[in-house]
Amino acid sequence: MAGNRNRFTVLSLFKSVRATMLCLFALLIVVTMVIFLLISVDYTKKTVLENSTDYTSRLVRQVNRDIDSYIDYMENISSMIIQGGDVQKYLFRDMPKLDAQEVYSRIVTQFNTVVETRQDISNIAVVTPRRDYIINDGTDTLNENVDLQEVEWYKEALEGEGRILTSSHVQHVIRNNYKWVVTLSKGIKNPKTGENEAVFFIDLNYKLLKDLCENNSLATNSYVFIMDGSGKIIYHPKQQLLYNGLTRERTEEVLGFDHDGYFIAEGSGTDDGKLYTVSVSEKTGWRVVGVADISELMKNKKETESLYMLTAAILLCVAMLLAIFFATAITRPIKELKESMEEVEKGNFENTDVAVGPGSEIDSLGNSFNLMTARIRQLMEQNTYEQEEKRKSELKALRSQINPHFLYNTLDSIIWMAEGGKNKEVVRMTSALARLLRQSISNDNERIPLQKEVDYAGSYLTIQKMRYKDKLEYEIEVDEDIKKEEIINLILQPLVENAIYHGIKYKGSKGLIKIVGYGEDDKIILKVIDNGIGMDEAALKGIFDKSKESEGKNGVGVHNVQTRICLYYGAEYGLCFESVLGQGTTATITIPRNFRE
Amino acid sequence: MKVHTKKFLLWICIGIVVAAAGIFFMVNSRKEDEKYRVIFIPKVIDEDNDFWKLLIEGAEMAAAEYHIDLTIVAAETEDDYEEQNALIEWAIDQKPDAILLTPSSFTETTLYAKKVTEKGIPLILVDSEVNEDIADTVIATDNEKLGEVEGSYMKKCATEDSQIAIIGHVEGSSTAIEREKGVRKGLGEYEDRIVDVVFCDSDYDKAYRLMMELIEKYPEIDLVAGLNEYSAVGAARAIKEKGLHDRIRVVGIDSSLEEIQFLEEGIFEIIVIQNPFKMGYLGIEAAVEILNGGKVEKHIDSGCELISNDSVYTEENQKLLFPFREE
Repeated sequence: MAGNRNRFTVLSLFKSVRATMLCLFALLIVVTMVIFLLISVDYTKKTVLENSTDYTSRLVRQVNRDIDSYIDYMENISSMIIQGGDVQKYLFRDMPKLDAQEVYSRIVTQFNTVVETRQDISNIAVVTPRRDYIINDGTDTLNENVDLQEVEWYKEALEGEGRILTSSHVQHVIRNNYKWVVTLSKGIKNPKTGENEAVFFIDLNYKLLKDLCENNSLATNSYVFIMDGSGKIIYHPKQQLLYNGLTRERTEEVLGFDHDGYFIAEGSGTDDGKLYTVSVSEKTGWRVVGVADISELMKNKKETESLYMLTAAILLCVAMLLAIFFATAITRPIKELKESMEEVEKGNFENTDVAVGPGSEIDSLGNSFNLMTARIRQLMEQNTYEQEEKRKSELKALRSQINPHFLYNTLDSIIWMAEGGKNKEVVRMTSALARLLRQSISNDNERIPLQKEVDYAGSYLTIQKMRYKDKLEYEIEVDEDIKKEEIINLILQPLVENAIYHGIKYKGSKGLIKIVGYGEDDKIILKVIDNGIGMDEAALKGIFDKSKESEGKNGVGVHNVQTRICLYYGAEYGLCFESVLGQGTTATITIPRNFRE
Repeated sequence: MKVHTKKFLLWICIGIVVAAAGIFFMVNSRKEDEKYRVIFIPKVIDEDNDFWKLLIEGAEMAAAEYHIDLTIVAAETEDDYEEQNALIEWAIDQKPDAILLTPSSFTETTLYAKKVTEKGIPLILVDSEVNEDIADTVIATDNEKLGEVEGSYMKKCATEDSQIAIIGHVEGSSTAIEREKGVRKGLGEYEDRIVDVVFCDSDYDKAYRLMMELIEKYPEIDLVAGLNEYSAVGAARAIKEKGLHDRIRVVGIDSSLEEIQFLEEGIFEIIVIQNPFKMGYLGIEAAVEILNGGKVEKHIDSGCELISNDSVYTEENQKLLFPFREE
């Protein structure tokens, strides 16, 4: 996989492993929380709705039972009155007027008692189709403008068996009444004919129905209403509004229920809708309907929800703090490793070891890193040592080369002088040679005081001067303050040799070689000046050429000097030649002062 | 990890907790909304008059529905516009959120109604209008249509030789003007059979007296139109007393127990009823709509219904004629 280097990974999204871990932790935590919240909120909603439905169903059923027993009770009253016999006696039997009066007053007393004691009964009456009647306490009269044959419930009760229960209507049979009531009516048989010849009825006002509905309110904004089997409202807390078309009720949907049940009427906009709980009475066919705002039912849900939210937020914070803590803890070794690596990148191998724990992958990485840096350090040290050794041996090799021709020539000169009986000269030359040799052989130290180097060059020049007699003269001018400076050895002599063999030797007249030494800033300048034949450009250029030199006569050549200075002091130091053809050459050595290896 | 980053994160966490707690408590202690305060000034508060009673009931029921703090004040009598004007000034001083008004006078109330709107208080006229278009909305029976329904019925009964009388309520009131106009329109070609138009000042006795006078003055009179409950009932009483209901046909506007009984008895042929309950209710509803920044129509018709003496007890008419009261 060649493209692996820039492969996209999760890590590449973020700046650091820690950031990555944090973000991923955060993502995981938030996602988990949200899912948890959604599920629990949904579940809570379901549960709350279930509980509410359950509760309202029971409640509405209870209201329905109460109404049934209420109607039962009214039926009992009517049965009691009808079966009491007084009514039949009064209506159907011919009696002496006095007796009739007595029966009448008994009935009226009975009626009156009922009306007085029962606040929920508006009227109680018996009316025959012939418009004989007993109404309440006897003071009320029949509405003369009403044709009883046109009054639905009256007709039904008269013609049918059993009790007739109307929906809400205005009682207009009784004069000046006009109250909204629910009428329970029953035909009364004439024992003689066996036919219904009168109708007994009780008008129920809404006192009790209202109480039943209101006392069982589910919550604020909820209500209970009663509807009959044909969709007409019996009682509704907003009956007047309904009658005026100012509000609506979902009677159609309620009518669809033959049995107890519930449905949710969707609301519009911010309205959550309403829960309709229907209970159908077997006895009356009435439907008791509980209506509750779902938002009201869900009030608990909202509280629970916000509790969830709060808990979630706190958990989120705790989890985030823990995430930060763990991410930091986990990534600390990586960070340290990275910092160490950066140090190593800069080339700093010191103190780069990372602290290593007992066993994770990161620990073994750190371990490997430590091993690796240690190994590199070792290799580097070895390398340095080897380089050093190599240089040393090279230097040794370079400086150990003393020109055998020179040695031979010198010895030859000594022989000549000895034969010529020039004892003094022999002694001088031999001692100079001895000094030269001792200096070059015995001195293992690479560095020697400048004084010694100058002396060495002086010994050499002494020998050469004696050999060349009047052809060579020399002068040495080295400042005292630099004489103690330590420099690498064998750098002056080769230059002097070069000056003699390439400058003075071919000069017709007497030549002069001058060694000048002085300090300049933090440098030491050593100059070997001759007034020999000089060099042309080509010769100057070729002076450092090793191949050319190798065929030359002088062993420790100019090239060697240059190489050694560079090896030892660095490339910025070295040799430099200036030459004017026919006038002479100046070789300048520049080396640092107070040099420490 | 740098110390200030840690602190920053810590603050964020604290922030989240505080915000969550804030929301938690805000949700739990949802503050009670300030109730709107509305003052309703009808022409009169008359427990014996079904029209005013129902109009006020409607307003009260709407106030309960919409959680309005409703105050109702009115003059002693329907035509006392001076007292009503004083009440309007008083109402302005109360700085209510809206004022509902049934102006006693088409002309004399205008100046004071204007003061309401000048104060920036929404003004809703109920049942009657003033002679300038200043109210935010007017909720009323379309009085001209009301009169027209009455007039159209009369047209069916009228003949070439009919003598028609109109008994109005308060001369110069917008309702009386418009209803009379409507009746004339409904009568069509028989408009010229109108022999007299009188005003009873919303007084049963005066209406009764006026009817008696009319019977005296125009013995051939055969069609009488009452323009409101007082005038219709007053006329009916007179006719019943004279036993002339076989000869004189009376039609009325509005309903009351007495009027319904006259209808049952056949003294009234028909009555045309308004829906005062709806009017009052819609009046408050409109106020709420305006206060909530909604738009309401300039004129809202609360409707009218013709009820003849043979259809008093149909299911629908029962609902319209008899207010449902849980007594």
